[in-house]
Amino acid sequence: MANTESLENVVLELRRGVIVLAALSQLSAEQYGYSLLKQLSDQGLEVDQGTLYPLLRRLEGQGLLESVWKLEEARPRRYYIISAEGKKILPKLKKEWADIVSVMKKMLA
Amino acid sequence: MKLIDRYVSEVGKRLLALQGREDIEKELRSTLEDMLEERAEKAGKPADEAMEIELLKEYGSPDEVATTYNPHPYLIGPRLFPIFLKILKLVFFGVTIGLTVVMIIQLATQTPLMGSAVTEIVGGWITKIFSTLVAAFGYIVLTFAILERTVPDLGINKEDFEDKWDPASLAKEPHPDAVKRIDLIFEIVFTFIGLAIINGIFNIPIFSDIFRQFVPWINTVFIIEILLDIYLLRKAVWDTITRIVKIVMETGTIVLAVIMLRTPNLLTVPNEVLENIPDTSSIGVEGFLRISNLSVAIVLIFVIVVASVELIKAGIGLIRSYRRK
Repeated sequence: MANTESLENVVLELRRGVIVLAALSQLSAEQYGYSLLKQLSDQGLEVDQGTLYPLLRRLEGQGLLESVWKLEEARPRRYYIISAEGKKILPKLKKEWADIVSVMKKMLA
Repeated sequence: MKLIDRYVSEVGKRLLALQGREDIEKELRSTLEDMLEERAEKAGKPADEAMEIELLKEYGSPDEVATTYNPHPYLIGPRLFPIFLKILKLVFFGVTIGLTVVMIIQLATQTPLMGSAVTEIVGGWITKIFSTLVAAFGYIVLTFAILERTVPDLGINKEDFEDKWDPASLAKEPHPDAVKRIDLIFEIVFTFIGLAIINGIFNIPIFSDIFRQFVPWINTVFIIEILLDIYLLRKAVWDTITRIVKIVMETGTIVLAVIMLRTPNLLTVPNEVLENIPDTSSIGVEGFLRISNLSVAIVLIFVIVVASVELIKAGIGLIRSYRRK
């Protein structure tokens, strides 16, 4: 019981860092929260809504994303898109990620 | 859609306006409506209440949802926690020392010293320490909880408050003559406060003319103290000259405090206070003066004790540094 719980925690921690990179990478075209969630899930990355939406707001607060409200199908939707600052940082994050992957691959081989 | 509306407003109630409550509500509503629509399409029938209930159940309780938007899931965050701990330790230490000194003075002035009086004083000391520490803890936590929420991130890192830590410091012995920076900073701050009080900046009308005769002397000692502390802060180590200055200064402090201790009526009770003491008061004017003299004595004895400790420390440091040579 305790083991499954700690396993879940470790998995959660591992994913948490990845989600920022995943979201930034998918927002070169604007998306609203739910469409981004589905897009991530279609590509195999399941993210909890309770994690994604606050994260988008936080990234906006940090200036990495921009957002705008649009009225669509009689429903207002908040669209997010990567900001200039975010565009600057994304390649660095990608490089960091590639380094981590190559190191871990070697380590776990 | 009624349930979704109610759900969204329940989440909103748990958010602060500061966090952009309306915006979050709007976004949450639009997301839930999207999700519901998708479910209805999949089921091939219009959305009904059962579907709404199922959706909201999966989305989580309003408490859970609101928590995910809360940027402060803690009372005192990691940014302020190290400073919080430092101040907490300092205050606890100060309170314990202060109350212990008061207890020792009580024991010393109690005549004759009976067993029951000792129990009473020591018991009082324990309860006083306990209640003061609990109250101090509460105030400090409250202050920091407010700071956590009101002070923006001004680029204050915990590193700014912690001494820059260098792993090399583990390898080398600490310098035997190194000064304790944090002690010096506190000494400077409190000496400044002392200077301000004694020179009437806070306009406390309790110092008598007799007291005023001592003010130039106290000022001299305080200013030497501040200058010495600033010099030590820059120099970072004690040397023979600074130790001698310290010894002379602490000796002067003790002499001054002893002279003042032997001088009665350093404090006066302002006339308007005297007039307000009812004739029937069990304390009376004389009692008031007695209390004021006693509190002056306690402060002066405290000063003598502290100065003596500092004097001995400086003396020992001086002897040790000569032995090392």
